[in-house]
Amino acid sequence: MLSCKEVAQRASAMIDGELGAWDTLQMRMHLAMCKGCERFIGQVRVTRDLTKAAGEAEDLHDVDDLRISAILSQLHDGKQQGG
Amino acid sequence: MRGETGQGMGDEAELVRKLAAGDRAAFEAVYRKHNAAMVRFATGIVKSRATAEEVTQDAWVSVLKSIGGFEGRSSLAGWMFTIVLNKARTRAGRDGRAVSFDGAGEDDNLAAAFDGRGRWKDMPELWEEITAERIIAGRSVLQHVNAAIETLPPAQRSVLVLRGQQGLDAAEVCAMLGITEGNMRVLLHRARLAVRGALDALA
Ligand SMILES: [Zn+2]
Repeated sequence: MLSCKEVAQRASAMIDGELGAWDTLQMRMHLAMCKGCERFIGQVRVTRDLTKAAGEAEDLHDVDDLRISAILSQLHDGKQQGG
Repeated sequence: MRGETGQGMGDEAELVRKLAAGDRAAFEAVYRKHNAAMVRFATGIVKSRATAEEVTQDAWVSVLKSIGGFEGRSSLAGWMFTIVLNKARTRAGRDGRAVSFDGAGEDDNLAAAFDGRGRWKDMPELWEEITAERIIAGRSVLQHVNAAIETLPPAQRSVLVLRGQQGLDAAEVCAMLGITEGNMRVLLHRARLAVRGALDALA
């Protein structure tokens, strides 16, 4: 029987589908009986999903327009200098 | 708008062609998708956010200058982040900073959560309030997530940005950072636990 601590250590591997059959079975047995670990696995899953969403949600700010122009202008300078 | 930011192989080849042709809209889309993550990644390597922004800006110029040489042996994102990594590493070296991604000395934040028999001391919360749309303490939950990532030590931060946000292949991430796949999984897990801790504090 896995302890809660051992379940927590395997949480990412479980939600990423990287556990072998034996470990998966052990996890399921524990989770069927342990509300704390069930909640914890849920938290790690939410964390994974929000992390991904946070990487996709970033808006372009005004300052980025300036930066994009600066990058493109350096590029043209480089070409004119034959670089 | 399908494929504007390069999902899938065919779309990526088309995107590379547009970037090489100097298409500003294509560049803006790529910049929008990756720039913040690049800065977040570079900030873990160089000494300040301002330096990371400089390094990233410099990397974008290199990306566009050398896009003609991109052969598709890695993903476009992997190739671009490698350029950021190289620039950041060079800059860190010049500033006398050592860069390593083995995660030595980086631990997880759950050590005190269990009793002597490995059981929860306190029952984990049900996170009913933690959703992407929520605003807590003046910031969206997603902004809290990115703020938490910016406090992570370099190895965890790099893995979480590259693997957990940019979705690069495990093998690509390991090759870039010079770590094993087992090491990468441990770092990814620790990084998630740290972000989980930040979210739990909002719950
Ligand atoms: Zn348990």
